Amino acid sequence: MPIRGGLASLWRSAPLIVAATAVLLLITIVLVVYSGERSYRTQKANEAASDARILASTVVAALTFDDRKAAQTYVNALAANPEIAAAAVYDAKGALFASFRRTAQVILPAAAPAVGLSLGGDRITVTAAVLQGRSSVGRVYVREIVEPLAQRYQRYAVIGVFVVMAALVTAVLGIAQSELARTNRQLAEANFSLQSEIASRERAEAAFRQAQKMEAIGQLTGGVAHDFNNILQVVLGNLGLVENQLGAGRIADLRALRSIQAAIRAAERAAVLTRQLLAFSRRQPLEPKPLEVNKLIGGMSNLLHRTLGETIEVESVLGARLWQVLADENQLESAILNLAVNARDAMPTGGKLTIETANAFLDEAYAAREEDVRAGQYVVIAVTDTGTGMPREVIDKAFDPFFTTKDVGQGTGLGLSQVYGFIKQSGGHAKIYSEVGEGTTVKLYLPRLAAAASAAEDRIGGEAPLPRGNREVILVVEDEPDVRDFVGGMLRELGYDVIEAENGSAALKVAEARADIALLFTDVGLPGGLNGRQLAEEAQRRRPGIKILYTTGYARNAIVHQGRLDPGVELINKPFTYAALAARIRAVLDAGALH
Amino acid sequence: MPSRPGAGRLGRAARAAFTATLPGLLAVTVAFAETNPLELAIEATYLVKFGAFVEWPAGAFPTATSPFYLCVAGTHPFGSLLDRAAAGASVDRHPIAIRRLDAVPRDVGCHILFVGAGGQPPLDAALAAVRGKPVLTVTAVPPAEPRKGIVNFVMQNNHVRFAIDDRQAAADGLRISSQLLTLAVNLHSR
Repeated sequence: MPIRGGLASLWRSAPLIVAATAVLLLITIVLVVYSGERSYRTQKANEAASDARILASTVVAALTFDDRKAAQTYVNALAANPEIAAAAVYDAKGALFASFRRTAQVILPAAAPAVGLSLGGDRITVTAAVLQGRSSVGRVYVREIVEPLAQRYQRYAVIGVFVVMAALVTAVLGIAQSELARTNRQLAEANFSLQSEIASRERAEAAFRQAQKMEAIGQLTGGVAHDFNNILQVVLGNLGLVENQLGAGRIADLRALRSIQAAIRAAERAAVLTRQLLAFSRRQPLEPKPLEVNKLIGGMSNLLHRTLGETIEVESVLGARLWQVLADENQLESAILNLAVNARDAMPTGGKLTIETANAFLDEAYAAREEDVRAGQYVVIAVTDTGTGMPREVIDKAFDPFFTTKDVGQGTGLGLSQVYGFIKQSGGHAKIYSEVGEGTTVKLYLPRLAAAASAAEDRIGGEAPLPRGNREVILVVEDEPDVRDFVGGMLRELGYDVIEAENGSAALKVAEARADIALLFTDVGLPGGLNGRQLAEEAQRRRPGIKILYTTGYARNAIVHQGRLDPGVELINKPFTYAALAARIRAVLDAGALH
Repeated sequence: MPSRPGAGRLGRAARAAFTATLPGLLAVTVAFAETNPLELAIEATYLVKFGAFVEWPAGAFPTATSPFYLCVAGTHPFGSLLDRAAAGASVDRHPIAIRRLDAVPRDVGCHILFVGAGGQPPLDAALAAVRGKPVLTVTAVPPAEPRKGIVNFVMQNNHVRFAIDDRQAAADGLRISSQLLTLAVNLHSR
């Protein structure tokens, strides 16, 4: 800071200033003493001359009329002035006529001295003529005491000491004053920085509490969702089997088939809910791929129009040369859809939904202000509605699971939590801006994909008949007996030979015994020492050609790191449908065959 | 007496003079019984010097350089002492002129008038004549004497001093310097 620098240099040069001031003071004192000395002598001379003149004029008559007594009276009158050491009157002939001596040491001139002034070290003498008319009738002599030089210098020294002390006091006060002002300024600065530190600490604490809360809720919901997934897997699987068997059977079972299909739809909705819970708890296994966000949003156009209805206008403002991101396409689509649904609900009488995309840079300051955000390059997707908006307290809770402002039965309270969980799991950042009565903008920031990985577009297409097995041997490892039975049954139905194992060690024994195992289908979480990942590695070591397909309902484990699958790992999420499993098994088996 | 021609002639002349002025000399001897020549000289000097310490009313001098008249009347022993004392002297720019008076008229025109006791005019008459006029009258009579001038010489401790009747001076329109007044042995103040 320049001011502080200036002060510091002033402070450093203080001794120089003090020395210069001292020299100046010394010169001033010398000048003062010199001029004081001069004026003192002049004044003394004037006083002596004046005294002599007075005496001369008063003794005219006494001299004229030879009255020594009268002359003596006048001379004695001068004795009242303590500065007069001696006074004398001489007659016209120069003889002493009347005199006064303060002390016996003073010696008077025997004869009248010449008229004039004489300066001695300790005295000033003045001799003046006594004039009567134009003729001199005698002379007067006045001798004044001059204060001894030493005494005068002592006096000057005292004055000098006072001046120096006054100057010193002034200097010290001045320095102290500037020091005080500097300290005050520093104090104010320190206070300001302390206050802003307190504020940022409070923000950080609030963010930390929020994160803790989210984490706790996440753990809870994650656990619940996991259990639900297993249950739903059994329900969905069995319903699928029944549906399949009924579909292949007679027409009389059509009503039962409809019921089964309704049950399947309901169970699938339940599966969506658990997926959303997992999404919020960030424990859903993601399949991030290099993604063109603009392309994805463009592809959602029909879906959005259908979802939002006629009264809501949809506008997309897609940024040019948008960076690629690495994200799970389905989850991102789901997130955007969730936002769109929320927007629709906020605009009951219609309005406009705008989806914008742009490249963005979040700087350090922003990152420091927000919870769990890293500075860097992002692709931002901003979804804006012209709806009712949200007050502050609603914004604060909007990402919490099960928090909803909708009527009972209208919302699950999981939409925005899914968005939040997914974005966080993808290393991004979500932010809500809202004005009550004006509308809401939700911004999703997804980190830019650093390495431009080529996007492998592997969409599994539509309504083709289920791919079937060709008696390939599949080893199914699953600790939940119901799930194991279901999967085994399903695979057998699809035309595969199935060997079941309930844990890793059992599976390894099988793998060692049978050389014809084409695929290992294993749960990631397994009891008994070996988890799915370790089992797969061991199996591949023994049988290098073996294919691996993982499944899990709760992926926070060996194959998922920070919510992402390791490259080359194949996974099917629980709960899965009969069709999905058929497609996936076939795909994994065929993938090897292509190479 | 040894016969010396000069002395004989001188002695005759002196004798003749002495015989002629005997009555006067006698009177003088009576009046100035205690007066010695030094004192006379001093008194003569003082007479000349008084002028410097007295202020006369406007009109006392016709011009700035007109003479200052110092008059002597009655019997007085000054002889040439006064002339010598006044020689070349002046009061301010007024040269002192000595006038010897046989009579003192009212418009005598003197600034200082010394009146000797005895002789003509009589002391009384002389003083009375100038009463009310700006004339500094000076006498040399014993202090007990009722008729005195404004200034009256006295002997004190073998010194010639003077008494001053400042009241009379004021009545006559004169201002006497305070310096002079302080020297007076017996001041009759106004």
